[in-house]
Amino acid sequence: MKRKWLWSTLVAGFVALMVGFVPQPTQAATESYTIGTDVTFPPFEFANKQNQYVGIDIDLMNAIAKQQGFKVTIKPLGFNAAVQALEAGQIDGVIAGMSITPERQEKFAMSDPYYQSGTVMAVAKDAKIKGLSGLRGKRVAVKTGTASADYANAQKKKYGFSVVTFDDSNNMYQDVMTGNSAACFEDKPVMQYGIASGMKLKIVGKTTMKSDYGIAIKRSESATLLKKVNAGLKALKANGQYDKIVRKYLGNGSEAAQKKKTAGTSETDRSFMGLLKSNWGTLMSGLQQTLWLTILGILCATIVGVLVGLLGVVPNKFAQGAATTFIYIFRGLPMMVLALFIYSGVPSLINEKIPAFVAGIITLTLNEGAYTAAFVKGGIAAVNPGQMEAARSLGLPWGKAMRRVILPQGIKIMVPSFINQFIITLKDTSILSVLGLLELTQTGKIIIARNMEGFKIWSMIALIYLIIITLLTWLSNWVQKRVNAA
Amino acid sequence: MTIPRVEMKNVRKRFGDNEVIKNINLKVDDNEVVVLIGPSGAGKSTVLRMINGLETTTSGEILIDGDDIAHAGKSINQMREKIGMVFQHFNLFPNMSVLDNITLAPVELGIRNKADAVTQAKQFLEVVGLTDKADAMPASLSGGQKQRVAIARALAMHPEIMLFDEPTSALDPEMVGDVLGVMRRLAKQGMTMVIVTHEMGFAREVADRVVFFADGELLEQGTPTDIFDHPQHPRLQQFLKQVLNV
Ligand SMILES: Nc1ncnc2c1ncn2[C@@H]1O[C@H](COP(=O)(O)OP(=O)(O)OP(=O)(O)O)[C@@H](O)[C@H]1O
Ligand SMILES: [Mg+2]
Repeated sequence: MKRKWLWSTLVAGFVALMVGFVPQPTQAATESYTIGTDVTFPPFEFANKQNQYVGIDIDLMNAIAKQQGFKVTIKPLGFNAAVQALEAGQIDGVIAGMSITPERQEKFAMSDPYYQSGTVMAVAKDAKIKGLSGLRGKRVAVKTGTASADYANAQKKKYGFSVVTFDDSNNMYQDVMTGNSAACFEDKPVMQYGIASGMKLKIVGKTTMKSDYGIAIKRSESATLLKKVNAGLKALKANGQYDKIVRKYLGNGSEAAQKKKTAGTSETDRSFMGLLKSNWGTLMSGLQQTLWLTILGILCATIVGVLVGLLGVVPNKFAQGAATTFIYIFRGLPMMVLALFIYSGVPSLINEKIPAFVAGIITLTLNEGAYTAAFVKGGIAAVNPGQMEAARSLGLPWGKAMRRVILPQGIKIMVPSFINQFIITLKDTSILSVLGLLELTQTGKIIIARNMEGFKIWSMIALIYLIIITLLTWLSNWVQKRVNAA
Repeated sequence: MTIPRVEMKNVRKRFGDNEVIKNINLKVDDNEVVVLIGPSGAGKSTVLRMINGLETTTSGEILIDGDDIAHAGKSINQMREKIGMVFQHFNLFPNMSVLDNITLAPVELGIRNKADAVTQAKQFLEVVGLTDKADAMPASLSGGQKQRVAIARALAMHPEIMLFDEPTSALDPEMVGDVLGVMRRLAKQGMTMVIVTHEMGFAREVADRVVFFADGELLEQGTPTDIFDHPQHPRLQQFLKQVLNV
């Protein structure tokens, strides 16, 4: 009878974990593919005013899918996360204004080129720098893993500048506009589009490193998806649809045409309230994702943490060793490393995709669970050992003594730590934005990438976090009062 | 004759390199009250704790009604049910009322249903003179009251042996009498008891046998008259001189 309680808790914990590992069902009827893309790389991919993803890459990919009769889901994961996800086999392809390079051709199946680009250098609008030779002793911003970054790195010795890398274009632009960096290197169409959208930058020097953009496809899909993509591209170029898509975003290249294009993507009311109103829906869906991560994370981490914590006090060397090891490993690993390891490291080992959300929950479970286990163990150890002796001297077995005498006292000691851990879990969900999860922080990055209103949007995001943390604290304090009264 | 209630045979106990119990042989018969005396660090608590298995033994046997508790395995819980223990610092469960402290073990172990356990707990509270404290929380009790609840809690398991480890040392002097009174009554009723105490007057009064320990060795044992009026071992003579002259 009493045993059942322990078992049901154990089983619940395992079920929670296993459900997470069940692979997503795949459609059989029409082929369905997941393609990763960058968060913001206008005009190739960016969120419009309605926070829908648009751009040359997005439209082109959808048109190819339609032309070839397959289903496609496009996920804005961020450039690096997308490439890593492709390497790990989490997704089937990446379309993100990606230059075709020998390295990439070796790793992935690259499609036929769909756009010719090149690297340009841009400086602040009022800067006097005219070219590479003006960069001596200065800092230059690039975006990680891009051909422009390779170019900058190849030139830095010769021209004597240092290179700082950013994960997305907007942070890179900002760094140049604020004067932290003297210049940035970027693909030409992107730079043109950015300047036309109001970035206070100008292009200097010549276009170099002319390169072709291609779609990267998972090697194992060379015979299927790659063939379809190439066939689709060819057909779209032939029937004029391709030109239409490119013109839709770049117009005829004139500044007037650019202005008209960008008008559609930028907000009209840029006041705090105006921005809040126009982004309300997006922010709320980000918040919803954050709350789901938090609630499920807290639930799983608490179950695992309590079980491991108890394992740590069982009078058995093996059990204690296992608990100590668990705590040591998962408390020691930085959460971001753990998240990326689970999301893009583990799948290549087990040959099974782990959806980002599930990877996020597993990360929270292990990391927060380790902290929980540590204070559960500590809380139990903090109960006067005389209590266990008195209970055992009455003939109560260890488990009953633990449950009826030690745990109720230990839990009181642990309650403040639990509350603290819940709040930390909420905050830590923001780290999961590296997995491309559209939670609150990632949502903020995307909105800002579009409207450049960093201060106002981050203020909103900060405010939302604070409100939720306040509510969570109230709830926890209420629970604490009830526990202490009991 | 019947087998002794407790029989320690060649018992040794080491903490690391420190041998704190050195080859002890001790018997406690049914209905007997044995008082352990000796200087601090002699090993009195350790002996008491080994008798109900709270401390492991390094070698030797400790037979409780003929069964070795030192190598009891899982059945140690059943063996403990018939050995009550009262601690110097009471160790009441602060998270439950006096009544729940007393009924917890009989109910959890399925010995009694809740209603019976409550009726019985009230009887034991009467025995220790605390009928009005049934619903109090331990934190609201004085030391003497706590210790009497602890005795009632141990009695609720209907033990055949009661172990007391300095039950009055943590009490204010005016509380000592109440607790000793309860113990005196238990002794009169024929409870088998092993008591560690520094209350020499009480020892002389209730003990059937007094046992003297020093440095982990059993140096002398006998009736209270033997021990207190005709001590043989120089260590005992010295010890008595110290405690009785304070
Ligand atoms: N858990 C332990 N680990 C190491 N040494 C211990 C432990 N418990 C007791 N000892 C040592 O064993 C010896 C006997 O201790 P014990 O508590 O049995 O003495 P005692 O006769 O009850 O003394 P007191 O009158 O002070 O209570 C002491 O030297 C003590 O330091
Ligand atoms: Mg002692």
